Amino acid sequence: MSSNLENNDKILKIFSTVRCMNRDQLPRYLDGRLTDLEKHLLEQHLVDCDLCFDALQTLSQAKYREQYQPLSVSISQYIRKSIARVSTTQKVERYQRLEQKKESFLIYFWVVAAVALGAGGVYLIQHQNKLQASNPPQPIAAVEKTDKEMEPIPTRQSQPVVASHTETAAAPAPVADTLQRRPAPAAVKVVPAVQKDTVKATVTPKPAPPKDSAKKTPPAEQKEEKSTLQPAKETPAPVPDKVEKKETPPPPKKEKEKDDDNDKKTSDVQPSGTDEFLYKAAMVYHQQGDLNEAISRYKHLTDSKSKYGELSRYQLAVCYRSKGQTGKARRMFKEVVRMNGPMKEKAQSALDSL
Amino acid sequence: MLQQLTNLSDKDLISRARKLKDQEAEGVLLERYSHLMVAVCLPFLNTAPGKGSDEVFPVLLQRLSNSLKTQTIHRVNEWIHYNVKAIQDKSDRNLPFFSTTESREIQQVEARIEKAAMNQKEQQQLIAQMNVVISQLPAEEKLFLTKFYLEQQPLTQLAESKKYSIDKTRQILKNAKQHMASILMKQSYEQ
Repeated sequence: MSSNLENNDKILKIFSTVRCMNRDQLPRYLDGRLTDLEKHLLEQHLVDCDLCFDALQTLSQAKYREQYQPLSVSISQYIRKSIARVSTTQKVERYQRLEQKKESFLIYFWVVAAVALGAGGVYLIQHQNKLQASNPPQPIAAVEKTDKEMEPIPTRQSQPVVASHTETAAAPAPVADTLQRRPAPAAVKVVPAVQKDTVKATVTPKPAPPKDSAKKTPPAEQKEEKSTLQPAKETPAPVPDKVEKKETPPPPKKEKEKDDDNDKKTSDVQPSGTDEFLYKAAMVYHQQGDLNEAISRYKHLTDSKSKYGELSRYQLAVCYRSKGQTGKARRMFKEVVRMNGPMKEKAQSALDSL
Repeated sequence: MLQQLTNLSDKDLISRARKLKDQEAEGVLLERYSHLMVAVCLPFLNTAPGKGSDEVFPVLLQRLSNSLKTQTIHRVNEWIHYNVKAIQDKSDRNLPFFSTTESREIQQVEARIEKAAMNQKEQQQLIAQMNVVISQLPAEEKLFLTKFYLEQQPLTQLAESKKYSIDKTRQILKNAKQHMASILMKQSYEQ
């Protein structure tokens, strides 16, 4: 059984691959200096290999055996020399390739570095531009602030004037105090100029009339001035109330007039916004003591068909009176009386006092 | 580098020489068979007039180098033997080397046995198949195969037992092996 198994294994050796005889095995086989196993393996190979069998057949003859050894050495040296030459050339080529790779790598590196630097520079410039673009609003804001700080300056400048006037008139003094306090927050808050104007216009009309009264009217006439001041004080807000009040209790006007008034209201809805703004702006100049500017602004409003036309005429008359142009003032007051509006009584009383 | 290359098989050296154009690998391969080339060429060098070793061997090596780059080589020994004979016989100089169908069949069976070495079941099947094939061979071939491969008798002893020359004994063994390979391949194609 065991012999059968061994035979079974050995049968596979019929087709086992054995290498050709090497430089050492060939003479040893010829000399019979191989083991049985080694010899049998080589003989298995000899069955298939014509090259090894022919070599053995040749070398079995003594005359060829003598030539074989020096020729085999010389041919191996010849091959090694050619390999060495090739290997040196190959090494040189490899070295050159490596150097070229290094050089190309360095070129790529510097190109990439230059591109990166350029991109970085562009990015920085863009970043700076963005910063500059985003920063200017700050200086503008600062300028606005300074402007706003500057804006109150005329009020402050006017305040001494007001204060000088208030030396004669005691009532406006607290108003002047409020004005003195006001600029500080106004300088801090970033508020549109129009709002500021409106605020001033709503609150500050008081000092303007005192100027006029202070200049022209004697202290005895302060009562009348107060009466004249009242419309100036309350003109922005209270006057419309008065208009409404007068509309609700129908004076000697007819229903047609009411209808006309309503129509006017509806028609004046649009212009009243700009008129109100112009009127308040003029009031600000009036309050600040810039009478010429106030007069010019009021003049723009005299053509207005809204309530601000009458109010501006009244204020224009006040300005003329404070400037000492009594003739013009009287004419304006008369026009107001002629208009037969809500300011008629006050205009009449002012006209009487002139 | 040379020492590393000398440890590689013929197949690896050929592939390196072809794919990587590694002339060192080519040189190692040719040097591995150079002693056999010298031994085979010795009768030609002695008989051919005006043909010295300085002329024959460079031509042979150059021919082998050119052939290595273009031709399919399954067995290096067959390829070298063909080229040596081609140099000695000028009529076959320009014919390229192609391994014979018999040689390819033997190679395929060898590859199959190598593959079966890892699989016990397949190996057993192959052994049984080979036993059947041997029984189908002529009596002389069957005797020579069993004596040489199974009983491991030396080639000279086998030749002496039948009073054949070593060359004839080798030829009988070679033919028997060729018959076995062709039958095995036929069986594998039929399956």
